[in-house]
Amino acid sequence: MSEKIVFKTEADMPLLPMSLDTTLYNKTGSWRYVRPIYRDKTPPCNQACPAGEDIVAYLRLVDKGEYEQARQRILEENPFPGVCGRVCGHPCESECNRAQLGGAIAIHAMERFLADLPLERKLLTPEPTAPAGAKVAVIGSGPAGLSCAYQLARRGYHVTVFEALPVAGGMMRVGIPSYRLPREVLDAEIAAIAALGVEIRTGMRLGENFSWEHLNAYGAVFLAVGQHRSRKLNVPGEDAQGVLPGLDFLRQVNLGQKVKVGPQVAVIGGGNTAMDAARSALRLGADVTVLYRRSRKEMPAISEEIEEAEQEGVRLEYLSAPVEILTARKKVTGLRCVRMRLGEPDESGRRRPEPIAGSEYTIEDVDTVIPALGQEADLSFLDKGVRTRGDMIVTNEAGTTSRQALFAGGDAATGFGTVAHAIGSGKRAALAIDKFLRGEALDDFPPLTEHVHAAPRDVDPTVVHFEDLNLAYFTEEERTPQPQRAVSERIKDFGEVNLGFAEKDALCEAERCFSCGTCNQCDTCWLYCPDVCILRVDHEGYEVNYDYCKGCGVCVEECPRDAISMEEELKWRK
Amino acid sequence: MEKVIMGNHAVSYGIQLARAQVIAAYPITPQTQIVEMLSEFCADGLLDAKFIKVESEHSAMAATVGASFAGARACTATSSHGLALMHEVLHWAAGSRLPIVMANVNRAMGPGWSVWTEQTDSLAQRDTGWLQFYCETNQEVLDTVIQAFKIAETIFLPIMVVLDAFVLSHTQEPVDIPDQATVDSFLPPYEAKFRLQPGDPRAFGGLLAPDHYMEMRYKMQRAMEEAVAVTSQVGAEFGKVFGRSYDVVEKYRMDDAEIVLVTCSSITSTSRVVVDELRTKGEKVGLLKMRLFRPFPFAAVQEALAGAKKVAVVDRNISFGHGGIFAAEIKSALYGGAHHPLIFPFIIGLGGRDVTPQSIRNIVSYTQEHDKPGEDIIWMEVKR
Amino acid sequence: MSYDIEERELMYSGHVACPGCGAPMAMRYALKALGENTVVVIPASCWSIIAGPFPYSAVQVPLLHTLFETGGSMAAGVKAGLEARGLKDTTVMTWAGDGGTFDIGLQSLSAAVERNEDFIYVCYDNEAYMNTGIQRSSATPWGAWTTTTPVRHPKEQPKKDMMAIMAAHRIPYTATATVAYAEDFVRKVRKAKNIRGSKFLHVLSPCPPGWKSEPAYSVRISRLAVQTRVFPLYEIENGEKYTINVWPKERVPVEEYLGLQGRFAHLKPEDIQTIQENVDREWEKLVAKARASGQEIPD
Repeated sequence: MSEKIVFKTEADMPLLPMSLDTTLYNKTGSWRYVRPIYRDKTPPCNQACPAGEDIVAYLRLVDKGEYEQARQRILEENPFPGVCGRVCGHPCESECNRAQLGGAIAIHAMERFLADLPLERKLLTPEPTAPAGAKVAVIGSGPAGLSCAYQLARRGYHVTVFEALPVAGGMMRVGIPSYRLPREVLDAEIAAIAALGVEIRTGMRLGENFSWEHLNAYGAVFLAVGQHRSRKLNVPGEDAQGVLPGLDFLRQVNLGQKVKVGPQVAVIGGGNTAMDAARSALRLGADVTVLYRRSRKEMPAISEEIEEAEQEGVRLEYLSAPVEILTARKKVTGLRCVRMRLGEPDESGRRRPEPIAGSEYTIEDVDTVIPALGQEADLSFLDKGVRTRGDMIVTNEAGTTSRQALFAGGDAATGFGTVAHAIGSGKRAALAIDKFLRGEALDDFPPLTEHVHAAPRDVDPTVVHFEDLNLAYFTEEERTPQPQRAVSERIKDFGEVNLGFAEKDALCEAERCFSCGTCNQCDTCWLYCPDVCILRVDHEGYEVNYDYCKGCGVCVEECPRDAISMEEELKWRK
Repeated sequence: MEKVIMGNHAVSYGIQLARAQVIAAYPITPQTQIVEMLSEFCADGLLDAKFIKVESEHSAMAATVGASFAGARACTATSSHGLALMHEVLHWAAGSRLPIVMANVNRAMGPGWSVWTEQTDSLAQRDTGWLQFYCETNQEVLDTVIQAFKIAETIFLPIMVVLDAFVLSHTQEPVDIPDQATVDSFLPPYEAKFRLQPGDPRAFGGLLAPDHYMEMRYKMQRAMEEAVAVTSQVGAEFGKVFGRSYDVVEKYRMDDAEIVLVTCSSITSTSRVVVDELRTKGEKVGLLKMRLFRPFPFAAVQEALAGAKKVAVVDRNISFGHGGIFAAEIKSALYGGAHHPLIFPFIIGLGGRDVTPQSIRNIVSYTQEHDKPGEDIIWMEVKR
Repeated sequence: MSYDIEERELMYSGHVACPGCGAPMAMRYALKALGENTVVVIPASCWSIIAGPFPYSAVQVPLLHTLFETGGSMAAGVKAGLEARGLKDTTVMTWAGDGGTFDIGLQSLSAAVERNEDFIYVCYDNEAYMNTGIQRSSATPWGAWTTTTPVRHPKEQPKKDMMAIMAAHRIPYTATATVAYAEDFVRKVRKAKNIRGSKFLHVLSPCPPGWKSEPAYSVRISRLAVQTRVFPLYEIENGEKYTINVWPKERVPVEEYLGLQGRFAHLKPEDIQTIQENVDREWEKLVAKARASGQEIPD
């Protein structure tokens, strides 16, 4: 390192003005009053993912061709990528900044691609934290329950999952048809969890096949019973033959039981259950109409499900609601409906549907009515003294209930109604149970509207928006579509509709990802620093040489993905 | 080999024999023959040098400086306005301690245009850090060019070799042109002390703060002071090798001289003739030829003029607002000494007006006839 | 490495360029492309100071500081001297500002390239005499504020067309470049290195103090100069073959470029309109030349 040169006499000096050393003696870092800091920020996809996945991290790994590592990154947070990559409503894509420059990254298809890779499925086991002999009971083998069991088993806990139905999987098994989620995929992911030592006992309904006292043997209990009861229509004729509550219908279909529907089916509702029911009925040979009381825009179902249903021939009728199920000899014969209009927004933010007086009309030739108006939990098994509100178990951010050592999560506690939320909820509970059983305090869990991470992530919570990116570095590139089976083929059976990405599609999407807020070593900062003080640290990122950095800010301005921030120097000069 | 050649060609032969590697020059009367002959030498393979045909004298000296920095033996030639145009680069060359040799044909400055001989052009550059040699004959021109490379490459300062316009530059005289082998034995190839060398990255000429500037200038002055002795040594060595010795000054018939003429350049030849003539008449007149003007040879001048009563300095130049430049420098050289002869400062021959033996006789007469110089400038042969 | 640019650094930190200055960015890229076997000649300009005072240097190649107007002549001498010593492959690069190129140095530059001297002449153009405190040069654009073209009397003459002047000398290669398009710049320097004869690069180099712009925006401004077509990126070979290197996709109005610089803050809408018209006209002329040279013109 250069030092300032001092000459004692002229004899020490060169013959003419000539350099003897470099300018490195001159620490120009003293000039600045702001400094650039490399600190990753939160991409909107990561913020949106209810399962708490680190999406940007695994997209980067795919971009580098490191598929195994990419899958591992998902499995760190979510043991069900195969499921989620098929059934999730992908809020990540709704928030994706790429949507404004060619289309959101196909994260959903990417997750499925990684899940389906024929690599050995190795679930990660971090350092075991479980106290010796610690045992946890999980009630319900749906996504919340199994996610909780998974995260605890990874940490060395002995977990027993009690499942009321004869098969494990919860809504993944009985709510979602196999043309969306093939049984083998679900089986494989459950088996991988069991392979960690998790004991899954089916045919065990709490309060029926075993009692609360049995649970005293466990250090903690996690209730994840879900919402398996259909809401009632509450119109005359609802108890007629031919009225099949949506969840019941789906359960029967998904458990392989013979179900008689049709030929004229009316499905009532606009959510995923309605779509699942409609498309299942279609595959059973029926002619299907869906009635929804609001407009298309307000339908809560995943938009692809609605589009696919339409493609398959399901008729969608909006702004209509039944007022009476017409029957003859206790069998459904038709539907009396009323037209609706949208008024002011209700508590969900959606505009309230109001019947238009005098607009009643009849739909004739309906022999099956499948109400799919929403789900409720059956909490009749619950011990007295566990606080509930409405049909949900009351919990705090750590998932604790009003009873010591009793935790709850998933739809039964949160009502969020998606697989991804349930997975996140189960993970939260596992982390809380782990702390509880180790005698630690259960503070600093984020609110239920945010998500938890199994692997710690040192990232600035500031979310990067489209305006924060430097668009000079990106061109408009269209989103890669996922291939599907032809409509005429797929409606004949319950085989999978989506065919998944090929490797080139996955690479294409990974390459399109902006990597919002997350340094991906593009070298742009290194390239433009006028003072040569951004040093490349191979495979890791960059270091600012603060001895010379003048704080000009070019690196921050040019960073395509807002992964560098400027901070006041005074803060650092204490 | 003896040849009858003009002074300009004597320069060309000197440069060729010195094996110059880069020449950058721009034509100006009366220097053109120097570069024309050098071009022919290069074209005929008699000189392995790169000749850069620049577009001005400023660029000529800049290119010469560049070549010298690159470690090549580099030189140029010019005159009068060309030299003046180079002025800022002369400072740069000297301050860069580059051993560049330049021939300057003394020519009067305009306006109006004058191509004839006068010393003001080179003397006006006396502060730049260049050594200056004034040559009396074409032989001395050739010999001094060769010595100049050697002296410059010893003390690392650039050297100007000066010859009169037309009187020397275009006048043919017999000159003994040495053979290449002998010159090679006297003047080895140039080894630069510091140069542009890929792999040894140095920055030359960067910002020089008050902390350091004076020492650099001090070093230059010290080199100038050493140059006096080096000039004598090289001149003596030259004598041993080629049979013709040179020194910083030459004393001619000065042993008991009461009146000493101080001259330089071709006026010296004319003055020798007059001195001989006066001596036959019994007049105690001597002649001090100034060969080295920069660095000023204080000791030699003081010693030479120790016994003189009257000194007639013949200046073919003028520093406006002051007077003849040699006269001023000689006065300053003698000031600190014990002996202060009367200095008669003559200015003659500006703009190439001929200086004849009669002119010199008149100068001597004036000096003899006056007890005191009487004026700061004694103008000779001006119509007034 | 994401960019097609040599990794090795030949410029050091500790130089004294203003924060965000385009000139050290440009030097860094040029030296990367040229490598160690290079001599740089720097006439009086900002880089005379940026390079660091005696006895230090900011570059890892031999550097010769020189007089303001000697960018062409000094380099010719250096090249001749190096060749005389047998160093025939060493690249000599003059690194001069716009003052030393467009104005005081134009004579010796013209002479050097007329002789087709074998060197690369890079003019890093910050569009005024910045080193002496922001005085106008003939490279200052029309309407710009400088200390000698104050707001009430801004520059009335258009920027001198240096590329046309160099093309008129029919030198083997002349090109524009700027710091935002670093790969393009490096490619051009590499190309120049491999051509014998005179090569001229005109590099637009943003100057935060002189342009009254944010230091952090220097690359952005440099990019906008190209995208608004104020400073197109193109090459001219042998004085006649024109190739445009970057075709801005959209029509970006000059206001986006001017708006980031305080030196244009005083312009009225009609002034900006004038600038837009001039830019459009010059662009069309350039496109016509490219077309006549046989380049495929995109839509």
